This record gives sequence, C-alpha cells and structure tokens, in this order.
Amino acid sequence: MTTNTRDDRREMLRVTGASLAAAGLASVSLLQPKEAAAAQVKTPQWVMIMDLRRCTGCRACTVACKSEYDVPIGAFKTVIKQVVTGKYPDTRKTFIPRRCNHCEGTEKVGNITVPPCVKACPEYPKDRRVFVTAEGKKIRYRGGATYKRPDGLILIDNDACTGCGKCIDACPYGARTFNKRKLSGKDKSKNAIVKCSSCVHRLDEGVTPACVNTCAPGARIFGDINDPNSDVAKLAREFSLLENRDKTTMKPEAKTMPNIFYIDPDGVLADYSFDDKDKLTEYRDIVE
Amino acid sequence: MKKISRRNVLKLAAASGALLTAGKGMVGNALAGSIELAMGGRDFNPDTGKERKAVPTVCYNCVTRDPKIAFVEDGRVVKIEGQPNSIRSLGKICAKGQAGVNQVYFPDRILYPLKRVGKRGDGKYKRISWDEALTDLAARMKKLRDDGHPEKLMYHYGRAKGSSSKLPKSLFMATYGTKTIGNHTTICEGGKFVAQELTWGKHYDNWDFDNTEYVLNFGSSIFEAHTNHIPLSQRLMKAMIERNVPFITFDVRLSNTASKSTKWEPVRPGTDLAVLLAINNIIMQEDLYDREAFTYIRATEDVTASVDEKIAALKKHLAQYTAEWAETKSGVAATDITKYAREFAKAKAATVISYRGLVAHMNGTEGERAAQMLAMITGNVNSPGGRCLAVAPHWKYPKGPKNKPHAKKLKITNGQNIAYPTHGASHQVLKMIKDGSHGRPDIYFWYCYNPVYVNGECQENKDILSDEKLMPFTVTSNIVYDESSKLADLILPDTSYLERWDWDGNASPTQVAEYELRQPAVEPLGECRNFSDVLCDLAKRMDMPLGVENMEEFVKLSCEMTPALKGLPGGGFEYMKKHGVYHDPKEKPNFYVHKKIIKDKDLKKEGVIFDEATGVYWNWKKSKAKDEADAKNKGYFDTHYSYKGYVGQKIGNKVYKGFKPDKINKTGFFELYSTLLKVKGYDPMPIWKDIPGHEKLGGNKLVLTTYKVAVQIHSRSSHCKWLSEMFHDNPAWINSKTAAGLGIKNGDEISLSSVNGKIKIKAYVNEMIVPGAIAISFHLGREESGRYGSGKKSPMASDNDPDLKLKWWDTYGVHPNWLITNKPNPVSGQMCYMDEVVTVNKV
Repeated sequence: MTTNTRDDRREMLRVTGASLAAAGLASVSLLQPKEAAAAQVKTPQWVMIMDLRRCTGCRACTVACKSEYDVPIGAFKTVIKQVVTGKYPDTRKTFIPRRCNHCEGTEKVGNITVPPCVKACPEYPKDRRVFVTAEGKKIRYRGGATYKRPDGLILIDNDACTGCGKCIDACPYGARTFNKRKLSGKDKSKNAIVKCSSCVHRLDEGVTPACVNTCAPGARIFGDINDPNSDVAKLAREFSLLENRDKTTMKPEAKTMPNIFYIDPDGVLADYSFDDKDKLTEYRDIVE
Repeated sequence: MKKISRRNVLKLAAASGALLTAGKGMVGNALAGSIELAMGGRDFNPDTGKERKAVPTVCYNCVTRDPKIAFVEDGRVVKIEGQPNSIRSLGKICAKGQAGVNQVYFPDRILYPLKRVGKRGDGKYKRISWDEALTDLAARMKKLRDDGHPEKLMYHYGRAKGSSSKLPKSLFMATYGTKTIGNHTTICEGGKFVAQELTWGKHYDNWDFDNTEYVLNFGSSIFEAHTNHIPLSQRLMKAMIERNVPFITFDVRLSNTASKSTKWEPVRPGTDLAVLLAINNIIMQEDLYDREAFTYIRATEDVTASVDEKIAALKKHLAQYTAEWAETKSGVAATDITKYAREFAKAKAATVISYRGLVAHMNGTEGERAAQMLAMITGNVNSPGGRCLAVAPHWKYPKGPKNKPHAKKLKITNGQNIAYPTHGASHQVLKMIKDGSHGRPDIYFWYCYNPVYVNGECQENKDILSDEKLMPFTVTSNIVYDESSKLADLILPDTSYLERWDWDGNASPTQVAEYELRQPAVEPLGECRNFSDVLCDLAKRMDMPLGVENMEEFVKLSCEMTPALKGLPGGGFEYMKKHGVYHDPKEKPNFYVHKKIIKDKDLKKEGVIFDEATGVYWNWKKSKAKDEADAKNKGYFDTHYSYKGYVGQKIGNKVYKGFKPDKINKTGFFELYSTLLKVKGYDPMPIWKDIPGHEKLGGNKLVLTTYKVAVQIHSRSSHCKWLSEMFHDNPAWINSKTAAGLGIKNGDEISLSSVNGKIKIKAYVNEMIVPGAIAISFHLGREESGRYGSGKKSPMASDNDPDLKLKWWDTYGVHPNWLITNKPNPVSGQMCYMDEVVTVNKV
C-alpha cells in the first residue's frame, strides 16, 4: 500500500486540468502520469464504518439524506434499525444504521468482480468510462444502469436504466427501491431506482456524505481505506474489521463483501436479522 | 495524508468541479485519498452538480438554536447543515433541524390572513387582506388602551427567544402598556429553573462534558432532546467513547439515552429524589465531600456558621436518607447507590445532569436542589468537568420610545398560591381566565404556542378557548393550523424561521459566548409576515411608533450596538450576515466565578450597604427601597427587588462575588439551606416527599409518564413529512410483567383513564420500562396539524406537494395530555406532568 504524498496531490491537480494558481499551491516538479502508475498507486476505496457504540438512533442521517436528494415519501436510502435484547432490567437496546453496502461482490462480469445488483442489471456493462485516480492513474471501466466505479461505489445511471427492477430483487439487503416520483431514463412507463450513492456528487467535490456531515455522535466514519492514515483505516486496524467480515458486515452469508463495516463490540449484528420477504419493509424507518 | 485548510479544500473542489462538465465518462473521484474530505459547508445538486447557495443562519426547531447553513436552490431551501464554524454545534444538527425544510413547504401551511366566519371551532375561515386584518386588530387594541385597560390584551407565547422575545415584549407590549404576558416554561422545565434560582441564583446550567470524568443522569433524555441538545450530546458521546467516561442514567424507561448509558438504572416514577438524597448522605457520612466547597455553601440559618458547623448540619440533615431506605423507595439497589456515590465523589471531575424526569414532579424542586447539592458538596460547581453557570451572549438592543406608560397586568399568569413562580405558571392561565376573579383578557393573542394541545386537561383548554364569554377575541400568528389556531377569530400567517431575521444565542458548552444571527434564506411564502414585523405595523396604526420599522432594522441596530460585535470587519451586521456566528477567539472559559473577590472600591460605591442578617453587600438604590433608612430597616431579605442591587457575599473576612441572585432575594451563598423556602412554610433543605396519590398504586393503577422522541419537537413538527413519516404512531409502553398481570398482550387496545378523561391506545409490551409505569410520548394525537400530522387538510391549504400522493400512513397516534392534570408544583409552578395516576384496562 502506498501513502499518498503531497506530490501525488499536485499531480492530481495537473491531471484534472486545474491550474496550480487556482489551487493556490506552489509550483514544483511534478510526477508524470506514467511515473505515477509506476509508483504502484492504488485506487481509493470508499468505506463507511458504523460505530454502534456511538449511534443514538437520532435519525439525523435519515432526514439529511431525504433532504439532500428530496427522497420521496415511502422510500429511504438510509435507515436506523433497533435491536432489543434481554429481559428487564437487563434489557439492551442498540441502533443499527443501514444503507447500501456498496459491496465489492464476488461474482464476475467479464473481468470485473461485481455485487448481485450489478450482476442482475440487464443494462450492464454499457459505455466505456475512465476513472482518474488522485495520482493521475487512469482506470478504464464500464458504465451501465447499475455499475461499479473503480473506487468501489455502486452507482446508478438513470439515463441507461429501463426500470426493470431486477437490481431491487437481487439486493440481499433491500437497499434499493423504486423512486415513485421519477421515471427511468429508457422506459418512461417505469420508475427510476433509488438507493444510496454515498453522496458521490459531494465526494467528487471533496465534501463528505450528507449523513456523515450531520452525525453528531460521530457514529458514521467515512473515508478511503487504502489511505493508511485515514480514520477508517485506523479504525479498521483497531477493530480488525477487514479480518472479521463475518462479524463486522451485514449478512455475511450473502457473500457480497460489503464496504460498510460495523464496530460492534457487543455482537448485536448477530441478533439482527431480516429475511428476503421483509427486506423491503426493513428499509422503512420507524421510530419505536 | 496531508491536511489542508478549508480554504484550500474549497479551491481544490472548485478545480475538480471542472471535470463534471467534461462529460460523465471522465467523471472520476479526483480527490480520493489525497486530501481530507471537508466535513461540510458546501452542497450540490445531486443531478446537476450545481453548487447550492449557502446562507448562514440559525435553527429554531427547538430552543437549542444550532447555528446552521441553509442551502438554497432556485429560490427554495432544499437542505440544512450545521454551521461548521460554530463552537457550540461544531457543524452538527439533528433530525428535527434537518427537517426544517418542511417547516417552510408543508402543503397545509397558512399563507394568508384568515378570518373566522363560522362558529368558533367550526373551522370555517375566509381569506382577508392584511390591511383588513390589521385595521380590525389595531382598532380593538387601541380601544382597550385608550379606555385605560391595556392589561386586557394578553400576549401568550410559546417559543420566543433572542430578538423575537425582546421586540414583542420589551418594545411592543411595554410601549402599549400591558404586562399580561404568559409563556410556556412551566410545562417544560420551569421547576428546574426555580430550584436553581433558589440554590445558586441563575436558572440555567451548562454541563462541561469536555472535561468531565463521570456523569450521573437523573431524567434527562439528552441523546433525544434537550434545551442544548446537539452541543451537549455530541460532547457527552465523545467523552464516553474516547475517554471511557462512565454515564449512569436513572430513568423509568430505557430511553435511547438510557440505552447508550454505561448503565441504565430503572427507577420508580417520582423517586429520583430518594436516590439523590442517599448519594448525598453517603458522601457526607463517608467524608468524601470537598471541604473547601463548604466555604461558599449555606447549610444553616446562621450565615456566619463555620465550615465545620455547616458540614455537621448537612450530615445531620441527611443522616436519615440511607441507601437502604432509598432502595425501598426507588427500587435502585443500595449497593449500586453506594457505589455511584463513591465513584462520583472520587472522580477528578464529575457532572450531575437532570431534567424533566427529575423535576416534573411534586417533589421536583427538592429533586433539583438535591442534584445541585451533589454537584456542590463534591466541588463540581463552576469547575472544569462539572456543572457550571451558563455563559451566553450579551446582546444590546434598541429599547424603543423613552416614555413608556406604566404597564398594567392581570394577575393571571402566575397561578395561585405558588411560592416562587419566577417563570410563571403557564398551564394555569386558562384556568385563571375561567375562574375570572383576577380579570379576563378581552384580546388573547398567542404566538408560537398551542395552549389547547401542550397543556394538560386538553378538553378544558378547548372549552375555555371556545367560549366567547370567557375569551371575547382570540388571535394568533402561526404557520400551521393546529388545535388552538382552530379556535382563533383571526389567524395571521407567520414566517417560518427560515424566512426571517433574529439575533440569538444560547448557552455555550465551552463557557465562551457565541453570538448568532438568523437571516432569511428565502422570501416568505404567500403573504406570510413575521410576527414582529406585524407588531411594528400595528404600533404605527395605533400611533405608538416603536423606533424601528421591522425586525431587520432591530437586528441591524442590535448588531451595531453590541460591544462584542460592533468593531468587527465591515461592521457587526455585515459580519454576522456573512458568517452567522461570532465568538471572541481570545476569550477563555471562566471557571470558579463564585470565588472572585469583590474589590473594595465596589463595596464603597454610592448606595452600597452591608446587611448583617444575610452577609450581603447590596446597592439599595437598585431596589424598591424608598431611601437608605428604609433599606436598612427592612434589610436585604425583605426589601422588594433587593437582589437587583446584589454586590457580594461576606464570608469570613472576605467579600466574594458568590452565587449572584437573579430573580429572588437570595444570599450569595450556594443555598442548600434556603430562608426563602422557610418563610413560605417549606423545609429550608431538600427533604424526601412522597408523591401524593402514589401511595395507592398497584393493580391497574399505573403512573403515566411522558417523553420526547428524537424525531419530533413537542408540538410543532407533526406537519413535517420527513419526521411524521418515521414517527406517526405512539403505542403505550408497558412492562411485560405488569401487562401480564392485567391480561394485556402486545398490540392490544387498552384504555387509560384519569380524573380528566379517558383515552384508548395500543399497548407496546416490552422489557424497557419499570413495572408499574406506563409511558406515552407527547407529540402525536393531533386533531389538526395538516395532512401529514393529522390526516386533515387545513383551511385554504394547497396540494402542491408531490409527496402528498405518496403518503402511506393513516395513523396519527394518541395524545396523553387529555389525562394529565394541570397541577403546579407548589414551590415552582412546574406542571407535574409525570405524577398522573391512571387506571389501565384492556378494551
């Protein structure tokens, strides 16, 4: 794993076509794209860690998300589930924040490893795209109605979507649903799909997702796990999150390799379950 | 990873933004991994990528008033974030704050002045012009004033803070000449305020979680709601996770707060006081107290008592309150009580926190005073990590015309026979009007308040407000058609807090004052006009100009007058408009203020005299004393408003700033022993008091307790779709054992009855509540709150919200207040919300 350096950042600016003057940074010798590639840089990998010790079930995240996207009534992109265990007076109540897991996946489409939703999408793979890393490395990938970006985000391109809903059925978590106020790009008789995008429109502007922004107890930690100095990387090491996916991710038996991890010292995730039948209603946030 | 400044983040982000226009094939996460993501401050349209306009302003969905940024797109507020530069909120905001967007655009919003056309309560209104509305209202008000009865205009407000408190009260009502002004404080935490005023002078406490090592919580759901919610709750969580600070919560219910606590201690309703008395007792008997703190404590009648005498007096007073005794009262194990007492006393810094769970009882004054006692005897008052006198900004503001009339008042705002109603007795106002022996207002004008719904005995409130003989003319300024608006003869459409000006501020957890400016993010919808602007207009129509044209001018002048702001770059107003918040970066937290020595020259100032009986130096000229001889003759304790002249407290041979009184003639000591209480016939020190009526519990007689959830404001948010979508049903919590004894299963319909009436509600049988109690949250069961909150369309409402067609719930919950008696605590006037005994039966 390489550390992103100052020079890397400057290189990023050059590649993105920004002038150094505009960025207010001094001009020094820059790495060329070729050299950057040679330096074995990794793509970023966006990860969110839900710290169950901190989540108070306040739902600021849920509303922030509703507002950020004007998510229609009836649909949620992120919810908080409540798990109650034990008998009075030794009762415990824990809150489990949920959103699209932006799974790594274990199935293949061509050379690409994709999660079930992408695998199920009849409109994937489609257009050819280029992802430019911070270091200037160009990575080619394929778009589609539902696709995986090289930084790990599972995104929707509604222009390519027929609204068939196969991705909704394929998601083991119920994280996707129809947007009843928006039509799919390719078939105006069908609805568009709504799900968490990790606020890619904010990330691409250097701003953290809306749910993270508003989380007062600091239960949502977001960042690049490939950056060893990031908060997520530090927490992942401290709590061995990557090594214990069966305990730190949602529904490990689905073998989707989620990129949302849970700090769960009391092992509450094990007490939380939902089956395929009620997975969609699981994405309705109800305060008890 | 290199950290870069926010300024650079913005520039970098602007640079990468160019990519978006290059076509989506080239969109890449250019910033990934190379810089730290900015936490906030900017927002973009998710579809177009276009940056949203950021307007710094202040939340007003609850009294916390977090500074925030409103993001505006095409003239609409679309998103709210916390203000990243605020030292109070640290850029965070809660679910209710986020849903502020709904407060502007909910489809049932009142957008035009409405005049009643049917019988009062029938809900028939017609749209009228502002000119017609104000001509009529001004004529009615002018007549009262010109007839010499301005006091027959009653102004009753629920939430009015900062400039929205000052302009209506200090300018308009004062210039008009009425002091018949009511608030809502005693249905909230008035009892906590009064207890604090009796003890350490001021009414509001800050909890220094940044420096604390240990926290005991008596009845505060701080992770759901609090008067300083976001600033405090995030600091508490930080202390718990990052410094392993223990946080013990005593509550009848496993609230979210209790569930996040190190330990939840279920406590029987109304018995927190017993636990507190026992903890204090253990600390005294085991000599775990802070000896030095006793210098500033009053524990005896004799103000010259030595530290040893005071310690002995307190030990003697508390001796009967053993841990074993407290266990029999509260159900909390004596061993646990002892453990917490020792841990609290031995912690380097400890905070005792409290709210309505402790104070909304008949023994609530004693409860809060016992909590204050615990903080003080362990040296955790005004100390880093302790319970501190709140620090808030000092705004200066225009005071209006110099020659104001001598204001008159109907004595209906403080209830009857309440010892120290320094925050009124709001829940008694309608009863007082019904009673009539102290007069009745001809015009009842309420603002940001819903008297029918928020007080107990809803039916009586409704009956009184419906009765045109008791209430000849009713008028409100409101954004929503609610249970009380429905009984208004005239409804004036108010602005939401995202469409108006205010200066504001609240206690800062860092003990450094923060100034806040609320400014309109968007133009008011429809014909909505800010209540204060309307008052300025009414004043002109009554030939009593207030000296300001509107709230904007009032706020501008205030910014220019306020010492901390006037020298800021560009001037106070321009600076605040640009930044939204200001604190003096050089100011340090001011701890141990009570230990400050008063300078000799301040004791020798004109009018300052020494009162032997209390040991207080005071300036008689600031009191109501006729002359110096009168002041000396009556003495500090018995002179009206003597506290206003308080200078310092003589302790030994020194004079300290001490604990300055704020509302009553208290000494400068931390008064564990209160002569003020003694003269009113109460025990001068906190003693145990059983809750009247609780001796007969058992069987199907349960104690009803109420609470707030994290996603609704008490009474002003059920029309917000993003909140009511998540919370529109509120079954009654009942312990599984209690339920089994009554043959009640989860989901059963049950009836609850009290002397005030009967409600039916679904049972939520669980393991999260103490046996013998039944808990119902108090946000729902709305008779009127628009379609999202009540299923009913408000008069003249629009259908322009596409979500209306997608609304999927048709339950609106049940309101517990129909059952609850408007009973005041005899000392403070606090409504004893949590004491009601109800009979529970399966339907």
